[in-house]
Amino acid sequence: MFLQKGKSFGFILIFALILLVLIALPFSVDLFYQTFLTELFVWILFAISFDLIFGYTGLLSFGQALFFGLGSYTVTILIRKFGLNTELSLLLSIVIPILFAWFVGYFSVRLTGIHFVIITIIFAIIGNVIGDTWTSLTGGADGLTFSPPPFRLGFFQINLMDIKGNYYFVLTIVAISFLFLRRMIQSPLGKVFISIRENDERARLIGYNVQRYKLIAFMIAGGLSGLAGGLYSLTLKYASAGYLHWSVSGHAVVYTIVGGMGTLIGPALGAAIVMSLEHYLINFLQATDLVVGIALVFMVLVAPKGLVGLIQSRLKRGKTSA
Amino acid sequence: MISNLTVAILNGVVWGLIMALIALGLNMIFGLLHIINMAHGALYMLGAVVAWYFIELTGSFWIALIIAPLCVGVIGLIIERGLIRKIEDKPIITIICTFGVMLAVQQLVLMIFGGSPRRIAPPIAYRFPIFTLQYPLMRIMIALISIGLMSGLWIFLRKTKYGLWMRAVVQDREMAVGLGIPVNKVYMWTFVLGSALAAFSGVLAAPIVSVEFMMGRDVLIMAFIIVIVGGMGNLEGSVLAAVMISLIQGIGSLFVPPSIATIFALAFMIIVLLVRPQGLFGE
Repeated sequence: MFLQKGKSFGFILIFALILLVLIALPFSVDLFYQTFLTELFVWILFAISFDLIFGYTGLLSFGQALFFGLGSYTVTILIRKFGLNTELSLLLSIVIPILFAWFVGYFSVRLTGIHFVIITIIFAIIGNVIGDTWTSLTGGADGLTFSPPPFRLGFFQINLMDIKGNYYFVLTIVAISFLFLRRMIQSPLGKVFISIRENDERARLIGYNVQRYKLIAFMIAGGLSGLAGGLYSLTLKYASAGYLHWSVSGHAVVYTIVGGMGTLIGPALGAAIVMSLEHYLINFLQATDLVVGIALVFMVLVAPKGLVGLIQSRLKRGKTSA
Repeated sequence: MISNLTVAILNGVVWGLIMALIALGLNMIFGLLHIINMAHGALYMLGAVVAWYFIELTGSFWIALIIAPLCVGVIGLIIERGLIRKIEDKPIITIICTFGVMLAVQQLVLMIFGGSPRRIAPPIAYRFPIFTLQYPLMRIMIALISIGLMSGLWIFLRKTKYGLWMRAVVQDREMAVGLGIPVNKVYMWTFVLGSALAAFSGVLAAPIVSVEFMMGRDVLIMAFIIVIVGGMGNLEGSVLAAVMISLIQGIGSLFVPPSIATIFALAFMIIVLLVRPQGLFGE
C-alpha cells in the first residue's frame, strides 16, 4: 500500500526517518553492534539485488554468489596485490561482476524455470571450484586478508579501518543503491521487468525482446551483488573462495522470501529480522540455520508474499472494515 | 599403471552405481511431480546418519541398510504430505521450500549428530588382489546390491499395477485422473520411494565416504548433473549418465587434476543444457 503511486511522500518520510536513526545509532551502540549492522547493510544490498532478478523479473538465480564472490575478490586482490586505491577497486567490483553477469546471462536467460535455476547453480560451482583451486590468486578456502587505504572523493575522505567510518561508508552506498533500484523499478524499464515476471509470453507479443530485458536485469543484479561482495570484503578486510559457493545465494533467497519478494523493502526487512534472530539464537543454539530453514518453509507455505505481504493485507483489511 | 587404471575403472563403476540410485530418486520425483527436490542430498545424508545410529545399536550393517531407508521414507512422506502437496503447482516455490527443508535437516543433524565426520566400517573386510593392488570386496558387493535394486525397480515399474500407474501419470496426468488412477497417492508414494532411494544410497556410500552433515551438498549437485545429462524424466538415461560421468571422472583424475576435470564436466553440462535440454539420451 505505502509502496504505491502517490505515496512516494510517505516513502521518503519513512526512508529519511530510518536513515536518521541509523545515522544516530553508532553513538549509542558499541563497536560489536556497529560491525553487525554494517554486515547487515551489506546483506540488505545483496538481498535487494536478488529481489530485482527474482522478485521483479521472476528468475530464480542461485548463482548470485558468483557475483558476490567476484566483487569481494576484485576489491581484495586489486588492493592487496596491485596496490590500487579503494575508490577504483570498489568501482571495478561493480564493473567486473557486470561483465561476468553478461557472459553468464547470455547463456542462462535462454532457459526458463528449473533449467535456469540449475544453470545458474552450475556457473556458481565453476566459480567456486576455480576459486578453491587457483590458490596463488585467491588464497583458496583460507582466503586473503588486506587493509584498505582510505576512501577518497575530492577532499572528502573516510578511513575504512575505523569501524564507525566503515559503518557510515557502507550505509551511504547501500542507501544510494536502494534508491537507485527503487527508481529503476518505477521507471519504464522496471515495468518491463514486472511484465516479464507476470507473463513473458505476453511481453514478447507486445514487442519487447524478453531475453534482452532479462539479460539487462541479470547484469544489473549481478553488478549490485558484486558491489555487496566488495563492501563485505572492505568491512571484513578479507575474501575467501567460500563466498563463491552457490549456497551463499541462499542467504538472499531466505531474506527475500521471509520479507516479501518484489517489494525491495521486504528483503531489507527480511535480512534485518533473520540476521537479528540468528544473532540472538547463537547464544543457545549451535545450528542457527535450523531456524532459518524452518522459517523459510513456514513463510513459503503460510505467507508466500512474506512479511510485507502480511502487513499489506492487514492494512487493506483494516481499511475496508473501517 | 594397469592396476591403477583397473582400480580407477572399478571405483568409477561402483560410485557411478551409487550415484545412479540417488539420481533415479531425484529423477522419479522430477518426472512425476515436476519439482526439483533440493532436499534430496540431505535425505541421502540422513540415510547414512540413521544407519550409523542403527549400526551403533545393533552392530549390523545389513539391518541398517533396510531400516534407514524406511525411516527416511517416512520423513519423505511427511515432507510430501505436509509441504509439497500444498505448493505442487508452483515449481519455483517448491525449489525454495525444499531448499529450506535441506537447511533444516542438515542443521538438525549437526545439532544431534555433531559436526565431526564419522566412519562406518565395511561389514565385509576382505580384499582381493588386482594385479599389484588390493581391492575391497565390499565395493563389489555395493555395486551388486545397486544393480539388484535397480533391476527390482525396473520390474516394479514395468510389471506392477503401481508401476503402470506411475508411467501413466508421467505420460498424461489428466487422462490418468480420468481413468480413475489415484494420482495423489501415486505422487505420495513416488516421493516416498525417491526419498528411500536417496537414503539407501546414503547407507551404501557410508563405508566408502565419511558420514557427516554436509555430505549431501555436493552429491545433490552431482545428481542434478546426471539427471540433466541423462534427460529429465528419463530413468534409464540417468543410470547410463551416472556410470558414464563417474567413469570419466575416475579415469580422468588419473591424468588431470580433479578440479580441472570437474570444470570440464560442468562446462560440458552447460553445453548439454543449452543444446540438448532434453538430455543426451532423450528423444
